[in-house]
Amino acid sequence: MHATVRSVIEAAPDGDVCILDTEASPEHLARGTARYADALYAVVEPYYKSLETGRRMAVLAHDLGLERVALIANKVRDEHDLDAVREFAERHDLDIVGVVPFDEAMPNAERAGAAPLDFAPDTRAIAAIGELAETVVSRG
Amino acid sequence: MKLTIAGKGGSGKTSISGTMARLLARSGRNVLAIDGDSNPNLALTLGIPVERMNELPTLPRDLLRRTENGTELSSTLAEVCESHSLTGPDGVTLLVMAHPQHAGTG
Repeated sequence: MHATVRSVIEAAPDGDVCILDTEASPEHLARGTARYADALYAVVEPYYKSLETGRRMAVLAHDLGLERVALIANKVRDEHDLDAVREFAERHDLDIVGVVPFDEAMPNAERAGAAPLDFAPDTRAIAAIGELAETVVSRG
Repeated sequence: MKLTIAGKGGSGKTSISGTMARLLARSGRNVLAIDGDSNPNLALTLGIPVERMNELPTLPRDLLRRTENGTELSSTLAEVCESHSLTGPDGVTLLVMAHPQHAGTG
């Protein structure tokens, strides 16, 4: 499957937006799946194991030669959570491209078997993801 | 622009990928969302019913051909999407790499 994903990304037109939702494992990345992507964003939650996984993915993406690599802080409940992610990012010289607050609407949408955007279009998390989308696209 | 969204299982990467895809499509961009997970569920976050996923034919075995440097698609991406993708709400095109019934292969 890795070669297929790689070849599909390579073939995707540059003028369009192509979003690859990948397998969670760093091993998957190490096989070069993301080689033809312009950017890799690792979604992290504000606790150590998640941050550490994100860091490993970022390192692998750098090694693959990706130009833009950063973290997306997700499920951030308060300033304390945000500080934890910021501190970790700073310590490992990583950027944070966006912050998505914890929002009950997201797990609720999942439980309801619905898309978050249809289930709760006006929530804080959706607004934050909208900002994030514009940021990543404007980065080119 | 080709973006990879990665993250530990349960981190919310699929919710973020799917919602970003929809919002970018709404703002007028052509968006191709690729589910590269061996346990695919991006369709749900995009608002595509699971039943439609099950109608999708699996990607053909001869999808790739060998080149000097590795592999490339043996037909154009547009052709692959024509027969093997779904179009969801807001016009997002979804390409699923691993069919649920065939998870773990390839």
